[in-house]
Amino acid sequence: MNAIEIRDLKKNFGQKQALNGLNMTVPQGAIYGFIGENGSGKSTTEKIICGLILPSGGEVKLFGKDYKDADVRAKVGVLIEAPGCFPNYSVWNNMMLQAANLGIENAEEEVRKVLKVVHMEGSASNKFKNCSLGMKQRIGIAFALLGNPTLLILDEPINGLDADGMRIMREVLTDVTKSYNCTVVISSHILGELEKIATHYGIVRGGKMIAEMTAEELNANCRTYVALKAKDMTTAMAALERKYSRVETDEEDYIRIYAAVKAEEVVDYLYNEHRIAVTEIKTSKIGLEEYYIDLMREGR
Amino acid sequence: MDATFEKFTFAKRLKTMLKVDFKRMFTMPLIYVLLGVSLAMPILMLVMTGMMGGEPDPTTGAEAAAMFTNVWQSISSVSEASGSADAAMSMDLTTMCNMNLMYFMIAVLVCVFTAEDFRSGYAKNLFTVRSKKVDYVFSKTLVCFVGGAIMMLMFFIGAMIGGGIAGLPFTMEGFNAGGIVACLFSKIFLVAVFVSIFLAFAVVAKQRTWLSILLAIGVGAFMFMMIPMMTPLNATFIHVIMTLAGGAIFAVGIGAVSNLILNKTSLV
Repeated sequence: MNAIEIRDLKKNFGQKQALNGLNMTVPQGAIYGFIGENGSGKSTTEKIICGLILPSGGEVKLFGKDYKDADVRAKVGVLIEAPGCFPNYSVWNNMMLQAANLGIENAEEEVRKVLKVVHMEGSASNKFKNCSLGMKQRIGIAFALLGNPTLLILDEPINGLDADGMRIMREVLTDVTKSYNCTVVISSHILGELEKIATHYGIVRGGKMIAEMTAEELNANCRTYVALKAKDMTTAMAALERKYSRVETDEEDYIRIYAAVKAEEVVDYLYNEHRIAVTEIKTSKIGLEEYYIDLMREGR
Repeated sequence: MDATFEKFTFAKRLKTMLKVDFKRMFTMPLIYVLLGVSLAMPILMLVMTGMMGGEPDPTTGAEAAAMFTNVWQSISSVSEASGSADAAMSMDLTTMCNMNLMYFMIAVLVCVFTAEDFRSGYAKNLFTVRSKKVDYVFSKTLVCFVGGAIMMLMFFIGAMIGGGIAGLPFTMEGFNAGGIVACLFSKIFLVAVFVSIFLAFAVVAKQRTWLSILLAIGVGAFMFMMIPMMTPLNATFIHVIMTLAGGAIFAVGIGAVSNLILNKTSLV
């Protein structure tokens, strides 16, 4: 059973179409990196999953049940935009209110535990309004972790965190998925950080999911490329385009073939079938960020 | 391994929700300000109008009559059915400037209390883990009703103190102590009607406090005229039953509307 299953999700804000038939599948136990440009529909999707805004069409299921199911939703931890706290209440009191909302029996112990997880146990008595941006972000995570959630939805949780904060966040997320069999959906623009923890990716553009893959698939199929230079670049390019689906020329005039292919195979193919000599060849990998930028560029 | 989910029963949901809402209401400075105003308002009203009575009118030179001639006028007026023409209800200043003003103060309480949920993002946290909005409506109605009822009692205490300070008589003409108790209960039960209406406006307006207060006071003013008829000083058991039933029906009926609004509109 998947933790989240979304089919043909649509959302219109007046004339503007924010989601245009988005499909999304998040397996249980995954750390799902949800990537997309500003305004691509990430936050809208997350808000719909959390029941904060209503979809115009489509189906959303959480753990095989309707997303409005009260029992399932009681086990969803969320950080969307800023943590919803009363500014004049202390961190502790804000946490205790949410613990009461969740019906947690041993609330004090639970609050203490999650504050320790995000390294905020020393700041529990601070008024929320006096906390720094990074502290507020950590409090938001602590909020989301209350009550051992089965599904965590985090919108830009790394924003505002310093290097240490980012490391803590990585540890927390990796730990909760392992310890509680918790599924995490995390949207972020800091792709370098996301790359270190995500097990699955979903890339959204213009309100549609344009690619969904596991980290292994991303690694194997999308991020490995062979770059080459040949004597006759024009003919080589034409020949390679016929054989491979994604062939491009980069800024240094290398022909890049994005496929899980060995350099020798390419050399053999060009020479044996087209009599084109390869003068230079290398196999390389692109990072998530570069891959994402490429993908976005394709759509324009 | 498939995830399993514990059953979150209505009773448990409501219990936790009430606990949070009561805690929030009684840690909010606004409630104490409103309670203080509820206590001070009748004292100031009775003492100050008592001081003005007997002074010559600057235009006519005639001695001005005191606005309140009896302490109980600050609580309510007597229904015409009692046959006491002097004490009978009329649309004069004393009919307006009495305990009925508290319903406007209750509008402020409900609107500010609810808007704060949406402004702070608390509603976002809450509705993410609670898809059943009925808990929220039920809890808010009950907690605001309790807050409103306490404000009413504070006004009553203030009126007694103010009457004593102003030296106004406590004589009962056309009604008796039972009528006053019934009147007080009727007014308290009527709070449920107003709270449910104000709450419906508050969930429509969400974080826009000004809009919810504007709507609540606007509609409250329309309904203001009916309060003296339903809660006269010579109220009987029938008035109490009627306002209790009305309060319950409105709380459920308008509560269902509020629930529908929350279910059919975006919460952020």
